[in-house]
Amino acid sequence: MSKPKPAPLPAGTVVGGYQIIKRLAAGGFGVVYLAEDPERHLVALKEYLPSSLAERSPGELTPRVKPEKQPLYRLGLKSFFEEGRSLAQISHPSVVSVLNFLRENETVYMVMNYLQGDTLQDFIVTARDMKRDKVFRESTIRSLFDEILRGLRIVHQHKMLHLDIKPANIFITNENKAVLLDFGAAREVLSKEGNFIRPMYTPGFAAPEMYRRDGALGPWTDIYAIGACIYACMQGYPPNDAPQRLEKDRLALSLSRLRNVYSDNLIEVTEWCMSLDPLSRPQSVFSLQKELARETERRYTKLSFSERLKLQLENLKTGAKA
Amino acid sequence: MRFNTFQVSRRGRREKYEDRMGYCYTREAGLFALADGLGGHPEGEVAAQMALQTLAALFQRDAKPALEDPAAFLQDAVLIAHQQLIRYAAEKGMSDTPRTTIVACVLQGRRAFWAHCGDSRLYMVRAGKLIARTRDHSYLELQNALGRVPQDGETFNRNVLLTCLGSPGKPMIDTHGPMLLEVGDRLLLCSDGLWGTVPDDFITEQLSASPVADAVPDLVEQALRNGGPRCDNVTALAVEWEGEADADEGHTEAGISTRSLSDDGFATTIQAAAQDGRGGADELDEAEIERSVREINEAIRRANERQTGVLKKS
Repeated sequence: MSKPKPAPLPAGTVVGGYQIIKRLAAGGFGVVYLAEDPERHLVALKEYLPSSLAERSPGELTPRVKPEKQPLYRLGLKSFFEEGRSLAQISHPSVVSVLNFLRENETVYMVMNYLQGDTLQDFIVTARDMKRDKVFRESTIRSLFDEILRGLRIVHQHKMLHLDIKPANIFITNENKAVLLDFGAAREVLSKEGNFIRPMYTPGFAAPEMYRRDGALGPWTDIYAIGACIYACMQGYPPNDAPQRLEKDRLALSLSRLRNVYSDNLIEVTEWCMSLDPLSRPQSVFSLQKELARETERRYTKLSFSERLKLQLENLKTGAKA
Repeated sequence: MRFNTFQVSRRGRREKYEDRMGYCYTREAGLFALADGLGGHPEGEVAAQMALQTLAALFQRDAKPALEDPAAFLQDAVLIAHQQLIRYAAEKGMSDTPRTTIVACVLQGRRAFWAHCGDSRLYMVRAGKLIARTRDHSYLELQNALGRVPQDGETFNRNVLLTCLGSPGKPMIDTHGPMLLEVGDRLLLCSDGLWGTVPDDFITEQLSASPVADAVPDLVEQALRNGGPRCDNVTALAVEWEGEADADEGHTEAGISTRSLSDDGFATTIQAAAQDGRGGADELDEAEIERSVREINEAIRRANERQTGVLKKS
């Protein structure tokens, strides 16, 4: 009995001079369309249309918001503005850039660069299905995350957190550039006042403090997600979610499966990023970058006999494939 | 009495939002007030909020519908607000009292009165000229008043206040008035976030040049720009006095006419503390939305300018 999602604008609709071609994606905060600017350049047009607060029937342009939902709607709008404001200040090749901001149809729109390529998630799924021993090469992982971390560092410098970093939000363009997408969950760190609704999180990538109301979020929260992304790049699957880990933490065990495939250092860095205790993680992107960029000779340690035995027992119990 | 008013408050780049503002009126009198809670002491935002609420409550009690003695009212009300803060801290067993500045103005008949404590200011502008301004209770203003010129390398910290509400000693409260109003006079109440970054002559000019509904947001915008990355909360409330009588037929502007109230009527924008802890300034109205959109586009344009020549066009 969930209420119907607000209808996206149909193809052909013109919003502030941009003509919609098709819907690309829809999330909690709104809809992203592929559109053309007056000079027929492709852009991504993001419409503020929180699905839980706004209603729109097919064919209508203006969303309706029930009076009792107005305060939250406005609050969400504020954070949509924050996203626009912050992205407008950040001009970095690894962070999606904003081209324009519009007020139309009684809501607001953000015009962004349209990127051609695929998400890291698509790449992981493709690579995983090839069933090789490695999902990605270690050098690929290192250089990919080096790029992403450069962008994330700028984001943090602007007092923002991303808070929803996951492979689906990391875009690899056809020119082979990594770009951080979807700052819908981002918000200014400094605004602690008010009972802001906690941004949505993605299990597996969300740090344990994202689940708690009073959890102190910080750069370390995004760093946890980065660790989880590296994990996914090595393993092909997302790690267990934080509540599961708090109950019984199998991270070290599943990482041990990757020993001898990836270097000890990369595995250790992943584990470091994904410490359950926020204080045990790298406290800044910079310190993580330093560690990832350390190109010493990679050491690989094979599993010992007892470790292999433990792993096999674990596999028998869980039915996982080795 | 008819007046036009406009108020804007912005958090700037500060973590805390400690400015509060608002106005209330009866059929015969209007009260306009602004408070800036002090950092460095606990709960500045509570102090500012309490001070305004105290003033508004006393105004509602005493303006029936006019105040007997507006100057005395202001003096007493500000002092009571101070006592409320002391009591609040005592009741909560706090080791330090929440503190705030305050500036408040009463318009009644053709007369204006105001009082202040600390460094929140009132400006009065008539026909393009600044005709009155409060003197801050700050060390800097005191030095200026004494005609002292800073010696080599010496700078006075404008943030050091000599008095405020909530401090252990009795606060200094300056009251002024009556000042006779003329149609078109404008009064501006503002926090140091505004006057600290925007010079007096600019304030005077802006306030004279356009209706308060444009002048106030423009001034605040300018202050935020000038304030840069460490910008304080910026709060401003302006009133344009449009006369004692009702608007002539066919000449109704968007202002407020207190005549629309009954004898015991009372209207206010000073609310009890917002339950969700958000001040009124966090509510987005249409004008604010438009402004945000403009601001973001401005930021995009500036970022593009910086990039021109650096970024190769793909």
